[in-house]
Amino acid sequence: MAKLCIGLFSGSLDKLTAAGVILSGAAADDMDVEVFVLLQGARAFIKGNENKIDNLAEASHLKDEFTSALEKLNVSTWYEFFKMTKEMTNVKIYICSLAGKIWGGEKLEDFNDLTDDICGIGEYLTAAEEADIHMFI
Amino acid sequence: MTTAEIITLTVTKTVDARGTACPGPLLEAKKAIGTINSGEIMEVLSADEGTKRDIPKWANKKGHEYLGTVEESGYFKIYLKKG
Repeated sequence: MAKLCIGLFSGSLDKLTAAGVILSGAAADDMDVEVFVLLQGARAFIKGNENKIDNLAEASHLKDEFTSALEKLNVSTWYEFFKMTKEMTNVKIYICSLAGKIWGGEKLEDFNDLTDDICGIGEYLTAAEEADIHMFI
Repeated sequence: MTTAEIITLTVTKTVDARGTACPGPLLEAKKAIGTINSGEIMEVLSADEGTKRDIPKWANKKGHEYLGTVEESGYFKIYLKKG
């Protein structure tokens, strides 16, 4: 079974959606996936924040076109992609403890139901070292 | 397989993924193939151009047999035999 490791630094709607699409490809391929949520990414994983993410990392002046196109194309939300892929394959989501604290999350219960645990940077690098594919988003 | 051969196949499962863009058809195919038995045929209906290459490649990698694609008006049908 191939292993995919993602360093999810970004907490913007466009990059979270890209991560969700990539995760779903990994799920179709039965990959084992570990996602390490870093700095900006952690904001999206704070409980209750999943629908509050509405900024784009790129082409932010075209946000309305981007979001309405996704809707028209019937593309799942980033949260739905993550949720669905967790049901389909072995996806573990870890929040970097520093990142969590920046956005007010200290304990596991401060984060949404996608979150498996809080971790440190050493575990991320070890996972990246052991993975077949490593991405930084 | 030719189109003439494909239309004679007995299809066990039809997945209509015409309402979704990539990665919807792939995900629906992945879920549906778990519901049929080895040797049975599944057809996937899609209007997403990326899916045309994606599903055959995925199928071969996962040990299923890609039988062919039939073009329809505004969409296409991909045929797979579960491995």
